[in-house]
Amino acid sequence: MPSDKNNKIPFNEDNYTHNIERDNERKLDRRGFMKTLAGAAGVFAVSSLPWGAVAAKELMGLGEKEYPHKKITDVSKLAVGDSLEFKFPGEHDDAIIIRLNENKYVAYQNACTHLRCPVFWVKEQNQMVCPCHHGFFDAETGAPTAGPPRRPLPEIQVKVDNGAIYAVRVKRYEA
Amino acid sequence: MKRSYVGVAVLAFILFLNIIFTQYMVHQFFYENYVNTLIFCGLNIVLFPIALFAYKKMKNVKA
Ligand code: FES
Repeated sequence: MPSDKNNKIPFNEDNYTHNIERDNERKLDRRGFMKTLAGAAGVFAVSSLPWGAVAAKELMGLGEKEYPHKKITDVSKLAVGDSLEFKFPGEHDDAIIIRLNENKYVAYQNACTHLRCPVFWVKEQNQMVCPCHHGFFDAETGAPTAGPPRRPLPEIQVKVDNGAIYAVRVKRYEA
Repeated sequence: MKRSYVGVAVLAFILFLNIIFTQYMVHQFFYENYVNTLIFCGLNIVLFPIALFAYKKMKNVKA
């Protein structure tokens, strides 16, 4: 049967489904695609929940643990401007205490927040230095000041009692 | 039968925001800025009803 449609390509036909024969051919049509996108938003929402839950838990201080107090040293053995390495809270958690002035002690877990090299105190420069990739930390706050580290060193609370210095707990960093 | 693709664009944009918020959320978590983590978590969650609403509104829209 001759047809004049053969000479007009594309022929005028307001029908976009003439080439669909198989089942499920139109599974991912516009509406199906939108449904998938909305579903993806749902997946994102649900998978955000654990992060939020853990963050909320940390914020409420449930992640803050009190460890048995541990004696670091005697006040008389740590001169002003000097530092001392110790372990807290576990036997393998390196930490450092610095006596900044007569009554001010600061202590940090001294595994660098970049790649965990031990950070040490440089009296002359008045800051903490990580030798591995030249990371620098502010001794007052533990915040990184230069180099690769981006997170502060975890601070350890100390207490002076009867001429001895004790490590009390590891503080959470507050932004 | 012409369709409007505005809905697809809106939903694709929502997905785009989802990805950004998730990225921020995870990063802020590891930077220990937990307040920011919570903010982006909340944003990610409110995007879901918005996406559903957009879908419901746009699924039958014709150009
Ligand atoms: S490990 Fe400290 S700067 Fe890289």
